[in-house]
Amino acid sequence: MPSGTASSWVPVALSSDLPSGTVMPARIPAGPLALWRSQSGHVAASADRCPHRGMSLSHGFVRGETLSCIYHGWSYGQAGNCLRIPAHPGLTPPEAIRTVTHPVAEADGVIWIAVGEPAGTPPALAGLVPLRSLAAFAGIAAIEAAAGTRANAAGLLEAEDIRLLLSSAREGETLIHVLVEADASPAARIAAARAAEGLRRKAEDFQKKGAAR
Amino acid sequence: MMKLYDYILSPSCYKVRLMAALTGVKLDLRAVDFHPGLEHRGPELLALNPAGSIPILEDGDLLLTESSAMLVYLAAKAAPGWLAGSDAEEAARVQQWLSFSGRLTASLGGARLHEMLLRPGDIGVLQSQGIAALRELELGLVEQAERGKRFLAADRPTVADIACFPYVALAPDGGVSLDPYPAIRLWSRALRSLKGFIEMPGIHRLHELKPEPQLEAGGA
Ligand SMILES: N[C@H](CCC(=O)N[C@@H](CS)C(=O)NCC(=O)O)C(=O)O
Ligand code: FES
Repeated sequence: MPSGTASSWVPVALSSDLPSGTVMPARIPAGPLALWRSQSGHVAASADRCPHRGMSLSHGFVRGETLSCIYHGWSYGQAGNCLRIPAHPGLTPPEAIRTVTHPVAEADGVIWIAVGEPAGTPPALAGLVPLRSLAAFAGIAAIEAAAGTRANAAGLLEAEDIRLLLSSAREGETLIHVLVEADASPAARIAAARAAEGLRRKAEDFQKKGAAR
Repeated sequence: MMKLYDYILSPSCYKVRLMAALTGVKLDLRAVDFHPGLEHRGPELLALNPAGSIPILEDGDLLLTESSAMLVYLAAKAAPGWLAGSDAEEAARVQQWLSFSGRLTASLGGARLHEMLLRPGDIGVLQSQGIAALRELELGLVEQAERGKRFLAADRPTVADIACFPYVALAPDGGVSLDPYPAIRLWSRALRSLKGFIEMPGIHRLHELKPEPQLEAGGA
């Protein structure tokens, strides 16, 4: 994802990696997120920091339509508002207690977070479906060098043997989503999952050599 | 009753306690003063296991010093569904991950001992070997999902999953993040929600499966 763009959609995770009733850590350039899906299927993203004492909310748990902190059990709704403080069951938590939330879109099996105020919807994947995500200790330039081709403005990189959607996690770290044709055979899907390992090794090698220079 | 020489904070001992709990076997637990007493390196335990490691499992004449063998023994006695079935690929995958689990012990386990008990070792090397092992496990689980299987060797948990799970779950103790592994996250959830699952310090049953806390005044 071009980090220079003021507003954009960042592909942070695959839908299949976030079943209903679960929470996972994710990352946008602005920092770490707790990405969670309620029991009824709604995805929400909050800064990964509990307003109470700062515990990572991605270590918490989802019950029904709320995200709860593992530490003292404060729970939050999709809009980030605090709904319940177990130590004070009679209290309606004040409006001011809330987490920072980010707009989320889910399309083509990918979960996107809005950074800034992006115009329109996330980029379409044009007949491709996501297979798996993997993190690389390599910047986008090193991955492009390893793949032998450039990513487009939306972060989509199409080489001869592999298709990737790239998302810059932080300096020198990239989240790679591997894409395949929607009608790829099981064998082709497994081959693509494995090929991504080789590409990551190569990219991390380039990154190290680049850093050594 | 089988006797397990055990230490509560040892992931290798926890493998055996967990397998016993999941298969409904009762163990006679003999606590070992691993830290700070180094009892596992004293004469009594060296006589049982010259390698100076725990767990050690005794059942009559049988004396085992390798946790993978203990898992197989418990399963074979009490719940053979945890072993490989007659399928050749499945049998091979069980062995593959049982052997692989030794690499988790050496890398992630080594990093954890270094960080928690200040054991000597090159922490950078241990951590990068741990990351390499986690990446291998992640790919293994991604491939299994493509085959319609949720666990390492089959669509049901086997001894292979129990052999690999504890050191993976405790990777953060050695300074190795589990954030970048979505397949491992889902696998860990599946294991932590099994009927009969038991905890150890640092490894918890799925919180959302616990009963909703009672509303009581006061408290935290
Ligand atoms: N024999 C292996 C080794 C288990 C192992 O590494 N155990 C650790 C405790 S978790 C140990 O006893 N280490 C000896 C030491 O660090 O002094 C097994 O049963 O899997
Ligand atoms: S830190 Fe989250 S509830 Fe206390």
